[in-house]
Amino acid sequence: MMEKIAILWPEIAMFAGTCVVMLVGLSPRAEVRRQTALLAGVTLAVAGLLAANSPGVAGPLPGMMGFVKGLTAAVGLMLVLLLAGTVDRAEERAIAEGRTAFNPLRSTRGEFYSFFLFSLTGVMLCASAGDLIWLFLALELTSLPTYVMVAMSGKGVRLGDRAGEAGVKYFFLGAMGAAVFLYGFALLYGATGTTRFGEMAAFFAAEGVGPMATAGLLLALVGVSFKIAAVPMHFYTADVYQGAAAPVSAFLAFAPKTAGFVSILLLVSAVGWLPTGGQAPALPGSIDAALWLIAALTMTVGNVLALLQTSVKRLLAYSSIAHSGYMLVGVIAGPGDGSFTQNGLSAVLFYLLAYGVTNLGAFAVLACLERDAESGEVDSAADLKGLCRTRPVLGWTMAICLLSLLGFPPLLGFFAKVPLFTSLLGAGRYWLLVILAVNSAIAAYYYLGLVRVVMLDEPSAESRSVRATPFVSRPVAAVASASAVVLLAVLGNGLMVASQAAGQYQRPAVGDGHAARAEARTSDDARAEARGSDVGAERR
Amino acid sequence: MAPTLANDGLAPYLPVGIILLMAVTFAVANIVLTMLIGPARKGRTKGMTYESGMNPVGTARKRFNVRFYLIAMVFLVFDVEIVFLYPWATTFRGLEPGSEESALWLGRIMFFLLTTVVAYVYGYRKGVFRFD
Repeated sequence: MMEKIAILWPEIAMFAGTCVVMLVGLSPRAEVRRQTALLAGVTLAVAGLLAANSPGVAGPLPGMMGFVKGLTAAVGLMLVLLLAGTVDRAEERAIAEGRTAFNPLRSTRGEFYSFFLFSLTGVMLCASAGDLIWLFLALELTSLPTYVMVAMSGKGVRLGDRAGEAGVKYFFLGAMGAAVFLYGFALLYGATGTTRFGEMAAFFAAEGVGPMATAGLLLALVGVSFKIAAVPMHFYTADVYQGAAAPVSAFLAFAPKTAGFVSILLLVSAVGWLPTGGQAPALPGSIDAALWLIAALTMTVGNVLALLQTSVKRLLAYSSIAHSGYMLVGVIAGPGDGSFTQNGLSAVLFYLLAYGVTNLGAFAVLACLERDAESGEVDSAADLKGLCRTRPVLGWTMAICLLSLLGFPPLLGFFAKVPLFTSLLGAGRYWLLVILAVNSAIAAYYYLGLVRVVMLDEPSAESRSVRATPFVSRPVAAVASASAVVLLAVLGNGLMVASQAAGQYQRPAVGDGHAARAEARTSDDARAEARGSDVGAERR
Repeated sequence: MAPTLANDGLAPYLPVGIILLMAVTFAVANIVLTMLIGPARKGRTKGMTYESGMNPVGTARKRFNVRFYLIAMVFLVFDVEIVFLYPWATTFRGLEPGSEESALWLGRIMFFLLTTVVAYVYGYRKGVFRFD
């Protein structure tokens, strides 16, 4: 219990901050209310500092937890800048002009920021999960607030019913995804007799992966693919990203995706990458095949459908699907020999960071622009024509972020994508390598198309009529993202070392598994004891 | 010893079954007996929605304050609190007083109660308890 608390300090800080933010956002005094975002930022900074000092944990992936928590806090800080003014914009203006009094029932600021923090707390809890039940609750804590945030965000940018529709759609599909992976978790528990990843790994190492455990893992992977927007569960992505306000879409592309990939890494590392007949280590056949299929389909579907989009938000949504496919490649490649170029797991973790930072910039540019009061946010590519001429800062940010998403050489996205390729090469998966390369080429078409619109096209009358949103922090977030994309590519060595340490995989010893299993077979009592002293104590 | 109800067949559920049977019998018997031996008077007033006292006015499809959903939510908070407090209390009784374990249990429930307090304060600031 106490050692559990020792790794949970970032989450505890987040929770305390969330409670304060929730109450401060409802303050009747406007100057106190205005501090809500600042408090959320302070909370994230504190949580990030605590995460940087968090100890390693036992289990197959000992270093992942601290890295993921730090990454969550860092991208969360940028997201706080971006989220400014998403909700309550009209209300606050009316109050400032003295037209209405503050009505706590109409205010959604406190809820919005606290849901944002709750969701990030969920991501952090996913990273510290050592247990299926814990993981399930953490995943739900990540997702449940996002459903409400999507629906809430529509009011500020006059998206109207589209945000409500997106919220409902997201909720129902999310509930279905949760049901599917919960079923998978139940089967995993049924097959192994434990909910703890460590014991599960020992069991799999000793007994192999039976049909029931395989079915459980497959269902869990399919269910979690909702969170990462991968193929069997990707249908909601475009509608939801388009329906939500741009800052919330940026958030959706980061938080659930990170939580989902952390869960996939935890689940899959319990099974482990095993050497099979002289070949490079790989996941057990059926799971490997399923992940291969999901990854290939996700990349291809995402990239091909992105070609057809005229809405920038939908394009970024489909590119988000494609990026999930890229990252799954790292999971398939496995830990390799543990070096940065060979370890697919650290490639996934580094890619999550790079994607989170880069994608945020692209959405931030959209969030900085709006049309007149009636039609709200800019969305179509035509609105961005000649952005580099009319608004050089935003235009260049967009161009840099898109090029980084494409994986253009000197930028962060390139350094994130290279280890995915090299880890696949090391694992000897040439077909997937070809699919990945072809997909990167397809992606070049639509990313460069949008870069051309932003950089080379003449501004049209339509795109000149777009105006800037009156929030100072949004361009700051955009510029921070673009400069991170450039600077981290040059100075990101420390991050690569950190992600390499985070992706270290320790295979459980076979001997332990036999012992644990033999003990568990003797009686129910022994099984209860094997699950740990904590549970045993509660029974007494 | 671990609970193994699933292996004992249905025998442990016998008292539950008897209670259920008694409840159903009591309810059905009351209705049937009233129908059989009670005096029955029918009429317009008797058939009204609210038989005793007030005359029903207007339609039932009336708009009501949406704030009730917030009250329902605050109710849920306390409902869930009770659901967790009750099993906690029964287990806590069995722990050794002053031991480290009991302190841990107390700490856990205090944290949980803190979360419900936060929910309550949130409801208060949201104006759930103001009826104007």
